[in-house]
Amino acid sequence: MAVPVDVIPRRPTLLLLVVLSLLFVLMSLSSRTRVVGETRTMFERTVMTIFSPVPKTVNWVGQSASDLYHGYLDMRRAVNENVALHRKVIQLTTENLELRQSETDLNRLRSLLGYSEQLSMPTTMAQAIMLDTAGRFKSIIIDRGSSTGVQVNDAVVNAGGLIGRVVLTTKDMAKVQLVTDSNSSVGVLIERTRRQGVLRGDGSGGAQLYDVPSLADIQPGDVVLTAGIDGIYPKGIPVGLVTRAEKGQDLFKNIAVRPSVDFGTIEEVIVLHTRKIPNAVLRYAP
Amino acid sequence: MRWVRFAIGLLLALTLHSLLDSFYPNALAFFNPYVILVIYYAMGGNLVGAIFAGIAAGLVQDAYSGAIFGLHAFSLTVVAYAVAYINARLVLRGALVFGACLFGAVIVNELVIWGLVNILLRQRIEMFEQTMIVKAIFTALFGMLVYQLLTLFLREEPIEATRRPAY
Repeated sequence: MAVPVDVIPRRPTLLLLVVLSLLFVLMSLSSRTRVVGETRTMFERTVMTIFSPVPKTVNWVGQSASDLYHGYLDMRRAVNENVALHRKVIQLTTENLELRQSETDLNRLRSLLGYSEQLSMPTTMAQAIMLDTAGRFKSIIIDRGSSTGVQVNDAVVNAGGLIGRVVLTTKDMAKVQLVTDSNSSVGVLIERTRRQGVLRGDGSGGAQLYDVPSLADIQPGDVVLTAGIDGIYPKGIPVGLVTRAEKGQDLFKNIAVRPSVDFGTIEEVIVLHTRKIPNAVLRYAP
Repeated sequence: MRWVRFAIGLLLALTLHSLLDSFYPNALAFFNPYVILVIYYAMGGNLVGAIFAGIAAGLVQDAYSGAIFGLHAFSLTVVAYAVAYINARLVLRGALVFGACLFGAVIVNELVIWGLVNILLRQRIEMFEQTMIVKAIFTALFGMLVYQLLTLFLREEPIEATRRPAY
């Protein structure tokens, strides 16, 4: 759009020329001082000083924002790392517990397997699934029954020694009477002296050895083994240790035996398929 | 009022300059906020005002850049005078025209700088043409955006025509 001639301002050409000349001189001075090493003229310093709050403020704000942002990022990173480490600790703790459990299981199964291999009869491994050792009648339930060949009167042992005998079977489970049950009787002998006797449960977690004469040499610490004379338990299975042997009122001694198996910790057991005595023979037994 | 706006604009340009220097150190090679400010002022058509605006903005730019002190002041004064001279005859308004003025102004500004550097320092500017074109495009686009924002913010034509003699 064209503007009328009367409103066109007079050109301040002279002012422009003067200004440009002064600026050129300023530039020349500045370029010369740059060469000799003095990079800032006094005029330049003055301009910088006047406007210095602006870059300083911008720098301060930028730095603060950057610090805040990076602080936030660091905090987020630390929180995430913390959560990850917590998860890792939980995972490793669980893994550690599983490994410890596996090691314990492995040791126990190894000893059980080694023990099983020593026996010269068919065996079945079983798992104790219920444990009733609190009452007077002590028993456990195992997860193998008649379908795997478990029969009544089969002896049940573990790496510690004798546990008891099978008193009831179903197709896939069996009840085992423990040697500490008050109705349990086991023919045993003292390992050191070969003196025989009958071990009965006292119903309170221990057992008593009966029918041992007062003169018999029995001492605390003697090892008690199965005698193999009752037609149920094979000979030589550890049963327990004599803890007390006193002279009784009658002709027999009072002998307390501590079972070699900790019945509170039974997990895996071995069922020994012992050879049963024929009924015809039992009929004539005393 | 126009000088107050110019002063605020100069502070904003310096703020932008500082911000870009802090976060994108090479950004000012492709964008010049001081040209936008000077052209905005010079489009009012006041020749004397344009000369002083060019000097002020150029000296601030020189003070905070590594150039010879007075280099940008010289080039911006020339550009501001030329734009004001044209606008004293032709009333140019609108974002597109502002962008076109900026594009031309950046070209002239860079050419003046190139000439002065050659004369005073006898140095060649690397990739001069490419940098000049990119700087002209980005400065024009940003300037048009600023113009539109000012139009919305001020709710009026942001450039007041002087249309009166300089003296």
